[in-house]
Amino acid sequence: MLVKFYLNDVEVSFDVAPNEYLAKTLRSHGIKSVKVGCNESSCGSCTLLIDGKPMMSCSILSASIEGKHITTIEGIQEEAAKIAHYFGEEGADQCGFCNVGLALTVYALKRELKNPSEEEINNYIVGNLCRCSGLQSQLKAIKAYLKEE
Amino acid sequence: MKVNEYYRPSSLEDAYHKLQEDPKNSLLAGGLWIKKMGLSVNCLIDLSTLGLNKISETKDEIIVGSMVTQRDFENSPIIKSLFNDSLAFAVREVMGVNFRNIATIGGSIMGRYTFSDVICGLLPYDVSLEFYPSQKMSLEDYLNYKGRLNAILVNIHIKKGNGKGYFKKVKTTALDFPILNVAISKVNGKYAVAVGSRPMVASLAHKAMDYLNKESKPDFNKAAELVLEELSCLDNMNASKEYRQDLTKVYVRRGLEEVSK
Ligand SMILES: Cc1cc2nc3c(=O)[nH]c(=O)nc-3n(C[C@H](O)[C@H](O)[C@H](O)COP(=O)(O)OP(=O)(O)OC[C@H]3O[C@@H](n4cnc5c(N)ncnc54)[C@H](O)[C@@H]3O)c2cc1C
Ligand code: FES
Ligand code: FES
Repeated sequence: MLVKFYLNDVEVSFDVAPNEYLAKTLRSHGIKSVKVGCNESSCGSCTLLIDGKPMMSCSILSASIEGKHITTIEGIQEEAAKIAHYFGEEGADQCGFCNVGLALTVYALKRELKNPSEEEINNYIVGNLCRCSGLQSQLKAIKAYLKEE
Repeated sequence: MKVNEYYRPSSLEDAYHKLQEDPKNSLLAGGLWIKKMGLSVNCLIDLSTLGLNKISETKDEIIVGSMVTQRDFENSPIIKSLFNDSLAFAVREVMGVNFRNIATIGGSIMGRYTFSDVICGLLPYDVSLEFYPSQKMSLEDYLNYKGRLNAILVNIHIKKGNGKGYFKKVKTTALDFPILNVAISKVNGKYAVAVGSRPMVASLAHKAMDYLNKESKPDFNKAAELVLEELSCLDNMNASKEYRQDLTKVYVRRGLEEVSK
């Protein structure tokens, strides 16, 4: 079936199978920044934004996103560079699988929560599982990014 | 997961007719559990375009559409204003934000999951379920209903009242399923106690509730003993029966103290 949606503000239409998930659709159309880690709705590496909200793209059926706005890291390049800068400064950057999903989650956090407490930040990012580089350095980087106007 | 067809119904009636056409047709809410089970489905009937994603209130009750996501539920000022925000606590610890933006309240109830935070958290309140075609039953009756109810959950009605609530999810790591859930309310002076993930679908502890509501100064330790007399705990790979019993005693007492402050 044909599904039409906005990918980083550009209208696209893709032919998808009824059991096809969004991560697969995007990857098969060249959006390789969307990473599939667990494929079990658990790790969050496949996170992207649907109508501005972070969601796991390995678990959203492509057929169900008709008319919606999908944002991948390509759609927020300037902000992604800022997030990368703060993560780099704190030595908090992750591997190629985890970075993208976490960056999109942090981007959404900044837009959804005003002056979040440390606990609120932790609760917001807990769905992006790997903390190889350590939670403390990530927290510092996120706080610095949130402070930026 | 095998799916032959994806269907976007134009109305509840249309969705219901499609559901009746084939026993292998299934309603689709957030789709997370459907994916997890990896079932073979003939037709997935997507409920997302039927306007069931709103939370509203009347003088007496709060009405939650079955397609309201867990995240919208926990953030709703209407939900937060009730029972010291304890209803929202029942979903706040389910996985992460990127999960709760997908999972729905309706899908969480209809599955009658043995590990459900959502069901346990709603159970000690006056909650009824409105189905299409026209049918209404209490949450407790739905949990005890034998067999599969081949109807569409439309709204969840939560009766307003004055009082407090308590919710505890015991889990090993942040994204785990619960080892035990305890939810307690004291609304309009009456106690209700629910325990879930024992690991069985949550139940109300009626014996303990009768005792608590009869006595003018109830002994909370005795109430916790009565909970264990009525609701059994079992072993599974996450925790032993004895551990769950010990947790039940502690958290039931603490919850009762909390709602009585
Ligand atoms: C990895 C993972 C971890 C989880 N961890 C937890 C946890 O720790 N605590 C917890 O409480 N829950 C947990 N859950 C369950 C989760 O919170 C949701 O309850 C579950 O995913 C169902 O919600 P859904 O919207 O995805 O429903 P779906 O998967 O779309 O549907 C579930 C079932 O309900 C039926 N259904 C859906 N909506 C309706 C309706 N309106 N009327 C009639 N039938 C309907 C569907 O046909 C299907 O049979 C977990 C689930 C997963 C996949
Ligand atoms: S790949 Fe989607 S949650 Fe892990
Ligand atoms: S697995 Fe990616 S940073 Fe740990």
